[in-house]
Amino acid sequence: MAELKEEGYLRCLPDGNLLQTKIHNIGARLVGVDKFGNKYYEKLEGVQYGRHRWVEYAEKSRYNASQVPAEWHGWLHFITDHTGDELLLLKPKRYGLDHKQNFSGEGDAFIYHSKGHALNPGQRDWTRYQPWQPTKA
Amino acid sequence: MGLGLLASKAMRPASRIFNSQNPRNFLFRTIVSKPELQKPETSAAQAQPDPPPVDLPPRTPVAGARVHFPNPDDAIEVFVDGYPVKIPKGMTVLQACEVAGVDIPRFCYHSRLSIAGNCRMCLVEVEKSPKPVASCAMPALPGMKIKTDTPVAKKAREGVMEFLLMNHPLDCPICDQGGECDLQDQSMAFGSDRGRFTEMKRSVVDKNLGPLVKTVMTRCIQCTRCVRFATEVAGVQDLGMLGRGSGEEIGTYVEKLMTSELSGNVIDICPVGALTSKPFAFKARNWELKGTESIDVTDAVGSNIRIDSRGPEVMRIVPRLNEDINEEWISDKTRFCYDGLKRQRLNDPMIRGADGRFKVVSWRDALAVVAEVAHQVKPEEIVGVAGKLSDAESMMALKDFLNRMGSNNIWCEGTGMNPNADLRSGYLMNTSIAGLEKADVFLLVGTQPRVEAAMVNARIRKTVRANQAKVGYIGPETDLNYDHQHLGTGPQTLLEIAERRHPFYSTLANAKHPVIIVGAGLFEREDKDTIFSTVETIAENAKVVRPDWNGLNVLLLNAAQAAALDLGLVPESGNSIESAKFVYLMGADDVNLDKIPGDAFVVYQGHHGDRSVYRANVIFPAAAFSEKEGIYENTEGYAQQTFPAVPTVGDARDDWKIIRALSEVAGIKLPYDSLGAIRARIRTVAPNLVHLDEREPATFTASLKPASSQKITLTPFENVVENFYMTDSITRASKIMAQCSALLTKK
Amino acid sequence: MISNGLNSATYPEIVSASASQISLSTELRSLLLAELNSSWSSTMLARLAAQRLAEIRQVFRQPIRSFSTALNYHIDSPDNNPDLLWEFSDANKEKVKEIISQYPSNYKQSAVIPLLDLAQQQHGGWLPVSAMNAVAKVIEVAPIRVYEVATFYSMFNRTKVGKYHLLVCGTTPCMIRGSREIKDTLLKHLGVKRNEVTKDGLFSVGEMECMGCCVNAPMITVADYSNGSEGYTYNYYEDVTPQRVVEIVEILKRGEKLPPGTQNPRRIRSGPEGGNTTLLGEPKPPPCRDLDAC
Repeated sequence: MAELKEEGYLRCLPDGNLLQTKIHNIGARLVGVDKFGNKYYEKLEGVQYGRHRWVEYAEKSRYNASQVPAEWHGWLHFITDHTGDELLLLKPKRYGLDHKQNFSGEGDAFIYHSKGHALNPGQRDWTRYQPWQPTKA
Repeated sequence: MGLGLLASKAMRPASRIFNSQNPRNFLFRTIVSKPELQKPETSAAQAQPDPPPVDLPPRTPVAGARVHFPNPDDAIEVFVDGYPVKIPKGMTVLQACEVAGVDIPRFCYHSRLSIAGNCRMCLVEVEKSPKPVASCAMPALPGMKIKTDTPVAKKAREGVMEFLLMNHPLDCPICDQGGECDLQDQSMAFGSDRGRFTEMKRSVVDKNLGPLVKTVMTRCIQCTRCVRFATEVAGVQDLGMLGRGSGEEIGTYVEKLMTSELSGNVIDICPVGALTSKPFAFKARNWELKGTESIDVTDAVGSNIRIDSRGPEVMRIVPRLNEDINEEWISDKTRFCYDGLKRQRLNDPMIRGADGRFKVVSWRDALAVVAEVAHQVKPEEIVGVAGKLSDAESMMALKDFLNRMGSNNIWCEGTGMNPNADLRSGYLMNTSIAGLEKADVFLLVGTQPRVEAAMVNARIRKTVRANQAKVGYIGPETDLNYDHQHLGTGPQTLLEIAERRHPFYSTLANAKHPVIIVGAGLFEREDKDTIFSTVETIAENAKVVRPDWNGLNVLLLNAAQAAALDLGLVPESGNSIESAKFVYLMGADDVNLDKIPGDAFVVYQGHHGDRSVYRANVIFPAAAFSEKEGIYENTEGYAQQTFPAVPTVGDARDDWKIIRALSEVAGIKLPYDSLGAIRARIRTVAPNLVHLDEREPATFTASLKPASSQKITLTPFENVVENFYMTDSITRASKIMAQCSALLTKK
Repeated sequence: MISNGLNSATYPEIVSASASQISLSTELRSLLLAELNSSWSSTMLARLAAQRLAEIRQVFRQPIRSFSTALNYHIDSPDNNPDLLWEFSDANKEKVKEIISQYPSNYKQSAVIPLLDLAQQQHGGWLPVSAMNAVAKVIEVAPIRVYEVATFYSMFNRTKVGKYHLLVCGTTPCMIRGSREIKDTLLKHLGVKRNEVTKDGLFSVGEMECMGCCVNAPMITVADYSNGSEGYTYNYYEDVTPQRVVEIVEILKRGEKLPPGTQNPRRIRSGPEGGNTTLLGEPKPPPCRDLDAC
């Protein structure tokens, strides 16, 4: 039962999309799993062309497309035939950043404030002069 | 038919000979690679005599260059690209091209420096000359046919450019000169799109020239402009060209800082990014900056400057061309004082509380307090002092305000207690700064132009170099950067000259255009009137003042002085400050604060928390010269205007507006609400001040003045400016100036 | 990448090939591989890059070909700094006067080169910065004008040289006749690098431009500073061989004098080896003229 819950089968009951994905998965080839646990499937026969690659998100309740990391994006969108695992080798080690999902609309913490905005914790001081300090008198 | 064949046979060899003997064809074939140029026929067609000039579109001289013919007989005619142009004898080919409206690319040539001719960028073709000619060093000869647009000239420029770029690093993106670089511009205009250089570029050790000039010597193209500037204009022979060939570099050989007061100008004349401004390094790109054409107020010369700002910040100050005042140079103090505008600023009105501490208050409260106190004291106990950076408008407003309060004790600092404001000739530079170039003998009395007015000093040095003018100097030991005779240290020598006992008197009397310059530092002396009348005696005896030549000058110290004296800011009594109860200091930081009685109420209106704020009871924050529109008159009587480049800081206001507001609160409303109205008021007092960008010479000479009966004291003259880099509240707040005075002034 | 999509049939092999290389190679190389997606062109590029690198290294490995003995700027050291007192000796002061008297009094600065030369002879073959300052004072110019001249000419040494400064001509005729071997022999024999002084302070080796008697190439110059400006000599030793220069050095080391000129015993001055082969007798008069008639 726990395993069923883990794999999201219970979520299939309210979520039709997930159910459809699960049905789609039958007989498909699992091409790879990224570090977030998203599973990438491919099925060449018996599906409509253009719908032969898809992802099953690791997050079963709140999933969205920005959870796909950059290296898998290309494969998933037919930009390249290299799988994400292959492209991961090309990722620059010194300056390559980790993938982060887009949290827009997920709360106040993720709203962007410009450098001068009062809510920006690192708000910049635009005063370009140094006032005289009367305390020295 | 037969005849025609014969004729063509006869013609052919002749034409072949003509073609092969034409030296230009030969040149084309050897050094030009463009396909159309390898065909001799087309180039021969190009070599045909130039089309008549009537077909050419009229051209205008470059940058409005005007030709002045000192002697009309010496005019010669040359042809630039077939266009005839008349120029005086002795002009170079490059100047002739400029008159004809052709801008020749150049790096080493600079109109104010001697000619070096070592960059080779200005190569042009001259007919009958076997090689391209360096136009900057070639005198134009009558009938010369100069071609600036031919393939030979273009190819020559392209080749020179390739050589120049050979060792020039490709660091334009991180170079401060990027965007205003001659090399960058000219390589875009005249260079090739590729180079053939594949070896390693040379690199050169950077030199330390002090806190103002940053060097990246690898970028240097050895134009030697800086060497010539330092030697000829600045008068400090520190820079030189060391080594030879590809190892050649600009340097001082021994570790030496550039201790000139004009060193910042090498930044402007460097055509590449080898010499850039150290304080400005990596602060902004020049295309982000907004330029505001304004006037410098750090000395009485009124150099024309451009204030480059980004947003609310002054990023740098660069000179503007004005042949009458500063040519195209400015002093280091002018150029680098700008960081003082960002430090120690007064941004809120403040009142000193009972505990002796300042408290920020609103304008309304501060003005109310001041107005109340002003009405409580007797009119003759009110004293106003204008500071050395005040503009004419604010001094007018202050004078009007105090007069309405019933007091006439107002003066501008530095003019002394008993200034001679009646005759303009008594406090102006009557010869005019540009007029100094005609002089052949100078007598400097109690003035050290090098520290008091660096641009005037540069003009004197120029004259000394050009005319071998003699300079006599009376005053304390000083370091003038030209040959001079140190005649003495005090009035004693002056008396000797006046009594014709001194050998320098005959030099002065025999001069065609003698010039006497008296320092404004003498205004503060007790025996000032006697000294001035002694100087006038000398002037009279030596015929310094004639109908066609007025060589008697006063060199003022501060930007506000001339306008203050024009407006009649003369105190009623000499020691009014000692009995004052209400003192209004308008940016006056050099008044003797000990003289102000302890119970006096002091209002300080100014832009910097400098010296006087510590004595103030109320502080009014005002605008600095970069933030306001104001009229300043320079030492030669040339009225000019500053323009606001940046907004005022905090709650500060223009000086005259503060006084106008105060007058309303005090119930004696001044009758002007706008800049136009206050200028109309100035027009009634001193109309010359509103004739902007115009020099108004003094009408009457000093001979009208009654003789003085004061006794002359023999105390020697003193140094007026102790530290060139720190003379007013802005420069004293500046970190760069502090660095300069620590490193560059001689101990 | 686009071509990859077209021939996806060959795709697995290429990927496996490149993937194996990726694991081995550096980050830069893997990026290159991804760009080109072909092992053949990538190796080719790598070879080109390696070649270019080797060229650049070669440039650095070459000795910097400058004849001057010092940098173009001065670095203070105990025996060379502006605070040291330097003056012309009394005997040389007379010479200075004589040199200056050869120039018009308003062009004193023209004497800069002879005076620098004199100062160099007096100071054992090199010019400390204080000597240049002294020269500047004599000719009444700013010191930088003297520095400019001293740095321009390679004959003015601004670092210490040996008492015998040996200069090998390196210009084309001498080079063809073996000046490089001569220089190498000298450097090896003395155990120094170029412009370096031997431990005993006696010798230093430099290179100079054409000495102008190429008929006797190769040759060396010995500038002898061992006796100050009075005993200063500057002699050419011509037709030298690697063996002969070692002998010359040994002779000089013993303090003996050696007559300058050709070192080939079979030559007289610049005459041909083994005596004249032509013009042996009295030249014949031109046939058209009777010389006795005049």
